[in-house]
Amino acid sequence: MTPSEERYKEIYRDNYPKVMRLCMGYVSGDQALAKDVAQDVFIKIWENLEQFRNESGIGTWIYRITVNTCLTQLRKQKKHRTNYDIKDIPERHEAYSGEEKHQMLVQLYGCINTLSETNKAIILLELEGLPQKEISEIIGIKHEAIRTRIHRIKNQLTKCVNNE
Amino acid sequence: MNNFEKLQSNWKNQPGAGATEQGFKELLQGIKRVKDKQKITNVILAITAIILVFFFIYISGYENNQVILGLALMVGTLLIRMLLEVLSIKQLGKLNALSNYNDYKNALISYYKRRKNVHFIWTPAIVLGYVVGFLILLPLFKANLSSGFYTYIIISGLVSLIVLGIFIAKQIQKEMQEIKRLQQ
Repeated sequence: MTPSEERYKEIYRDNYPKVMRLCMGYVSGDQALAKDVAQDVFIKIWENLEQFRNESGIGTWIYRITVNTCLTQLRKQKKHRTNYDIKDIPERHEAYSGEEKHQMLVQLYGCINTLSETNKAIILLELEGLPQKEISEIIGIKHEAIRTRIHRIKNQLTKCVNNE
Repeated sequence: MNNFEKLQSNWKNQPGAGATEQGFKELLQGIKRVKDKQKITNVILAITAIILVFFFIYISGYENNQVILGLALMVGTLLIRMLLEVLSIKQLGKLNALSNYNDYKNALISYYKRRKNVHFIWTPAIVLGYVVGFLILLPLFKANLSSGFYTYIIISGLVSLIVLGIFIAKQIQKEMQEIKRLQQ
C-alpha cells in the first residue's frame, strides 16, 4: 500500500462511523443507501485529499464534504425511500430497552426527515456533538444565527420524537 | 440527562456504523469503478463520433439530399442531446464539495436552474429537429418499403415519441421538485 493509501485508510477507519451516521440521518435510516452515499463521500475525500491544508481540522473538512455530498445524493433517496410518517411512529415509553432504543432511532429519523435540508444538516452536526463554531463554518451561517437556529430545531425535534 | 442529550447519546451509539476491512476494500473498488466509468464514457463518445463520421461518408454516396438531411437531423439531434447530458453530469461532478454548505447548496440550485435551459429550450428544439428529420424521410420510406412495414414505422415512431415525451416530462418534474426542496 502506498503512503497516501495508508493515510487514506487511517482517515477511513477514524471517520467512517460519523460519516455513516450522518448519511443515515439524511436517508431516513436506510442502511444500504447510507452505505452507498458514504462510499461517495469517501471517494470525494480521496479525490480531494491533496487539497486538504489543515486550515480546519480533518474532521470539519470531512463533515463539510459529507453534508454537501448527502445534499446531492438526495436524488437517489426518492427511489429507495423508507418513509417514516410521524403518525405511523409508535408512542415511546420511558424505560430504554434495546428495542426501545431502536424505536427511538426510527422515530428520530422520521422527525429529521420532516426538517428543511439546511435544518437537517445543522441538527445532524449538533447530534454529532460538534461545537457550534464548527457547525457555523461548515454551514456558512454566522455563529450567532446558528446558535438561535440550533435551539429552535432542538426543541422542534425533541417535541416530535416525544410525539408532543 | 435532558431529552436532547438522550437522543444524542442514542444517536452516537447506533449500531451498524463501524469501519471494516471489507468496507475499505469495497471503497477501493468503488474508486476504481469511478475511474473505469470515466474511461468507458470517453471510449463510447469516441466510438460514436467515429461511427458518425463513417455514417455520413456512407450516406453522402446516395447523392440524395432528402436522405442526407433527414438522417442528419435525426442522428444530429440525438447526438446533441447525448452531449448535453454528458456535459451536465460533468458539471454536477465539478461542484466544489469543499465549500461551505450554503455556497454548495446555492451552486446546486444554480445547476438545476441551468438545467431548465436544457429542458425548456434545448429539449423542445431537439425533439422538433428529430420529428422534422423523421417526416423528411417518410416519403422515401413509403416509396421504398412495403405498406405493412411503412405502417409499422409510423406507429413505432409515434409510440417512441410519446414514451420519450413522458420520460422527459417526468425528469423535468423531478428536477423542478429538487429546486423547490433545496429552496425551502
